[in-house]
Amino acid sequence: MEQILATTLRSAAPLALVALAGVFAFRAGIFHLGLEGLMITGAFVSVAVGDATGSVAVAILAATAVCMALSVLFWLVIEPLRANVIIAGLGLTSIGLGGTAFALAAVYDTRGSIRTDIALPRPVRGVNEGFGVIFSELSLLVWITPLIVFLAWVTLRRSRFGLRLAAVGEYPFAARSVGINPSVMRLKALLIAGALCALGGAELSVGALSSFTENMTAGRGFIAFVAVIFGAWHPIGAALAGLFFGFAEAVGIQSQINISESVPREFVLMIPYVLTIFAVWLGGLRRRRSLEAEAGYAELREPD
Amino acid sequence: MTGRLSQAAVTVILVAAAFGVVALIMGISGYSVTEVFSGSLQGAVTAKGAPSSTVRWAIPLFLIALGVTIGFRAGFFNIGGQGQFYVGACSALAVSLGWRTGPGVLVILLGTLAAMASGAVWSFIPGYLRVRFGTDEVLTTLMMSFIGMLVLQYLTAGPMRNPAGSGQTAASERIPDAYRITGSSGVSLTVLLIVGVTAALIWILLERTRFGLRVDLAGRNATMARWQGINVRRVGLASFVLAGALAGLAGAVELYGPAARLVTGFSPTVGFNAVVVALVGLLSVPGVAAAALFFGGLQSAVLFLPIVSDLPPSALVLLHGTVALLVTIRVRAKRRVAAA
Repeated sequence: MEQILATTLRSAAPLALVALAGVFAFRAGIFHLGLEGLMITGAFVSVAVGDATGSVAVAILAATAVCMALSVLFWLVIEPLRANVIIAGLGLTSIGLGGTAFALAAVYDTRGSIRTDIALPRPVRGVNEGFGVIFSELSLLVWITPLIVFLAWVTLRRSRFGLRLAAVGEYPFAARSVGINPSVMRLKALLIAGALCALGGAELSVGALSSFTENMTAGRGFIAFVAVIFGAWHPIGAALAGLFFGFAEAVGIQSQINISESVPREFVLMIPYVLTIFAVWLGGLRRRRSLEAEAGYAELREPD
Repeated sequence: MTGRLSQAAVTVILVAAAFGVVALIMGISGYSVTEVFSGSLQGAVTAKGAPSSTVRWAIPLFLIALGVTIGFRAGFFNIGGQGQFYVGACSALAVSLGWRTGPGVLVILLGTLAAMASGAVWSFIPGYLRVRFGTDEVLTTLMMSFIGMLVLQYLTAGPMRNPAGSGQTAASERIPDAYRITGSSGVSLTVLLIVGVTAALIWILLERTRFGLRVDLAGRNATMARWQGINVRRVGLASFVLAGALAGLAGAVELYGPAARLVTGFSPTVGFNAVVVALVGLLSVPGVAAAALFFGGLQSAVLFLPIVSDLPPSALVLLHGTVALLVTIRVRAKRRVAAA
């Protein structure tokens, strides 16, 4: 039982961080399917730089910088060059997955994984008795994730920036009419999203494992995207959805060990996807309305 | 016509740009670009068995991309080809394992039909939700894809697992040779016939029938199409079902052709690559065929390359990603937003 709690928290933190990234993009009207690619990039860069410099702080900073640079590239393609967001996002994911695997082969000459001695600090490491034991394996990032969720909530729901961002996502034409530049707002949202993906990826590699493995995100970026939808693109909702999916992952791992005969693991893993289809279906009308607003804006912008 | 040509020129330039970027990355990483290039040419065209290997990898891409094409032309972003492909292959396997004594032709026919039907069902669910409730199909087709991957994983690790197999990756047992339409090369007259007839049928459907016209009209402007008396919902739903059936067919061809057994997570990116192929092929049947051959050649080259250079296969994933990132820069797939 305690084991499930610890595994849940450890699985949920990266999901929640990347889901927050998705929320920022979603608020700005961007369906961000590149989360997976940014996440694995963050995971790889933090291990690679951490191993080279020996400093976990530098590693996290480098991962953040690289993910933000990729986000600028993504923005360039979808905003000024007006590429399709879905296809470009999936492309970004492939670039992340392929690029990290390629770098693994080119730099480290291996097809499998690399290990590092670098790890995020684990604040409760010393505790050896009672309830504390199960938390001793949790990294600093897991502990501050609730704080980041709170900050994201304040930014999105209580700040001028967040309200402007919502305007851009829901009705860009109105936003523009009061002097907001939707394109610039989207760039800012994508930059924040990039940084959050870097943190999520870093937690996965230097936080939980101190190693990087090819394709180690294993679809978590997409699960996080699902959490955005499932959490009604609200920062706290998305984080809670991330927590729930973390719990599902923990149960999946447990059932693989314990009750694999009665409930196949794959069926447990299907739950989030099935639930999401229901969630999108039932919440569909709202989404459509905002898309129509987007279409109206697009027509105003390009009357062809 | 000139619009079409300039569009093709832009696409070629964008794909070339993607190649340039990846070549630059390879150069910086210390690979000899000329060596990789000549090796790729060998692996895709000139080496012994290379042309048939190119065709072998082009076939699933082509079939799935045809479905993507129909969906995009009708204005829907059906990106669930991967899952439809998987459930199709699983159904085909179920038929051939369930009816072990059946005559070859019948089993293959039945299995192919089952594959197409299950692929169609996998695509019908998001399609119905889309045309009836306006549920976003990008999300639902993506989710159905993940569920399809888990179905494959479950079947190959559980009920259909080869009991004699060891190894870490779960795989089904091999189907008997009597139930196969090609050798392991993946190319035979039967397969080429199946693919050729399918392509011809889809071309006629899109370019020479009322249905094709309706698809294009609905995709371009759903409201106008509705005013002209087109049942946009029915056309949309048909596009989903056709796309699923084509991806399912690709699954059956893969199993009864080169694969002969299913391995957990085989061809993990074929569904996404097919979207890239459809877009590079400018959503026309001949264009998609050319693009499929091109990317099939790349796949074949990557498998051949380790012989001449130690380029990792992930370079191809990187390339596909770069092409996808750039290819829609001008060629925007029509996304109908005013719902049916």
